[in-house]
Amino acid sequence: MSEFELNRRGLIGASVLGAAMVGLASCDNKGTLAPGVSKADFAGAIKAMRSVVGDEWVFGDPEAVMPWGKVYVPDPNGRHVPLGAVCPRTVEEVQEIVRIANKYKQPIWPISTGKNMGYGMAAPATPGQIVLDLKRMNRILEVDADLGTCLIEPGVTYQQLKDYLDDNNIPLWIDVPTVGPIASPVGNTLDRGVGYTPYGEHFTFQCGMEVVLPNAEILRTGMGSIEGSTAWQAFKWGYGPYVDGLFTQSNFGIVTKMGMWLMPRPPVYKPFMIRHDNMADVPKIIEAMRPLRVSSLVANCNLMMSASYQLAMFKRRNEIVPDGQPLDDASVKKAAKANGLGMWNTYFALYGTEQTVAAIEPIIRAQLTASGGEVLTAAEMGDNPWFHHHATLMEGGLNLDEIGLLRWRGAGGGLAWFAPVAAAKGAEAEGQTKLAREILDKHGFDYTAAYAIGWRDLHHIIALLYDKSDPEQEKKADACYQDLVTTFGKKGWASYRTGVNSMELVAQQYGQTNRDFNKLLKNAIDPNGVIAPGKSGIA
Amino acid sequence: MKVMISIAAGLGLASAAYAAQKLGEYQPERPPEVTYAKVCGYCHGKNVGPIILGRKLDTDMIKAVTRHGRNGMPAFRPTEVTNAELDALAVWISKSPARTEEHGK
Repeated sequence: MSEFELNRRGLIGASVLGAAMVGLASCDNKGTLAPGVSKADFAGAIKAMRSVVGDEWVFGDPEAVMPWGKVYVPDPNGRHVPLGAVCPRTVEEVQEIVRIANKYKQPIWPISTGKNMGYGMAAPATPGQIVLDLKRMNRILEVDADLGTCLIEPGVTYQQLKDYLDDNNIPLWIDVPTVGPIASPVGNTLDRGVGYTPYGEHFTFQCGMEVVLPNAEILRTGMGSIEGSTAWQAFKWGYGPYVDGLFTQSNFGIVTKMGMWLMPRPPVYKPFMIRHDNMADVPKIIEAMRPLRVSSLVANCNLMMSASYQLAMFKRRNEIVPDGQPLDDASVKKAAKANGLGMWNTYFALYGTEQTVAAIEPIIRAQLTASGGEVLTAAEMGDNPWFHHHATLMEGGLNLDEIGLLRWRGAGGGLAWFAPVAAAKGAEAEGQTKLAREILDKHGFDYTAAYAIGWRDLHHIIALLYDKSDPEQEKKADACYQDLVTTFGKKGWASYRTGVNSMELVAQQYGQTNRDFNKLLKNAIDPNGVIAPGKSGIA
Repeated sequence: MKVMISIAAGLGLASAAYAAQKLGEYQPERPPEVTYAKVCGYCHGKNVGPIILGRKLDTDMIKAVTRHGRNGMPAFRPTEVTNAELDALAVWISKSPARTEEHGK
């Protein structure tokens, strides 16, 4: 019975079961090699890497590498299958691996914890790469409780950092993306991800990096190059050109340490939910929220969640409409209402003292009530699971509720985030929602989407959910994603971040001058092109 | 040390024996109930993944599914959950009774 229950959504093959037991790596990989790399080069690189990190931490045969290849994004042609994995423990080992990569011209794809969920997980953008898995580098090097700063390695998870702060009674918060427990502050910041406290724009709160350059030298940014400086995590800019941004969404180096600012735990934290009843309320909500955000009366990054996205976290699609039928607004509205949700649910919080929160709350209530929304708090929402989810995120709390999205359709397992940017204007959002729904409808997928309302921008976060166990649906999802990127691009709406399945496509949209400049940098910094070719379309 | 932790885990005393991560040090090996609480238990039993405790699931299957993911479940690499942690975890999950506070399907 229990066996059946776990297996009902699709058996994995016996070969996969066997593969899990294979711990030792040979190098008989028959996968696609990177351009210009011979089988002997690959074998030479694998052998040399073994001498650096030990046999146990190099994986070179297809079965052993499979855990690095699991992706949610559509990959109908199998382009994102890594050829190997190497897992160093120290920065010196990273330097040695970079030297080996240069010697054999073997590309390596660095990951932190490899949990970039709907953006490609640990998998590389192009075939033939060896994943440089930095998860074993998981030391928390410094936490300064007075300054509210820390210095960590790439393999540290948000869970590890939070546990350290809690265990030591340090009154600082972390700021998490939606999959915090297993994701990396370094990885998320380098991909310019966001979270939901006032420190949610992660790259803004980064301070100082240590980077292994493609020539294996070590660069420390900001004040990190000054011997004896105590300000590496306190002052971002250093002297001369500010280069930290070059190491985000790029392939110019491997970040092995990163500084971050941590928010002091406020005396009062009060989460809110604003419920709007109609899909057409999009512009009203944005217009009401913008002045609150621009003025920082509301200081955290808000999530304005569509009912369908919310339902997809904890429900299955066929609980809302029968299989094969379109997800109509009336059915969604009925299910939303039954679960205490509106068609749009906007979450934000107030942080401060009793006096500051009490002073700001009436202003916000008046503004949002005038937009037609119901202003709700823990008093009204109680233990509603959606309110609980967002209230947890907005105080830097940990959960993995969003992985529930992966079960929305059939056996599930298919998710690609499409995340176009817009200015925080009602008309922009209205236009994006309309266009997204047209494209998704055309391809037979649902509009499961949210807006992250930033300081002056919107990230329209569209979850393209599909059944990855169905090869036909995977092909359709791939076509739908390309259509979304391309059609939005024609309107001037491009992604803030994208998955390995679409890095080249999005790079094209940002124009030839931009591409040429990145290429010029790449050629100068990494002449052998061994660090993560294809990342952000830079090869 | 490793042996001590394993014995403690077997007796259900692992939390007491588990050393928290210290500044400048690598994450220590986690006993199974800690791994379950910090990784698996965010989904399994929380209406995201299927309930897996109290079902006497086969340990080899637990290990295979952990390493490869299944459908919506992500794969967990040996850099995230070590082979030693996974061996202990699989036995622990297989033997653990159901928890009334868990829910989901």
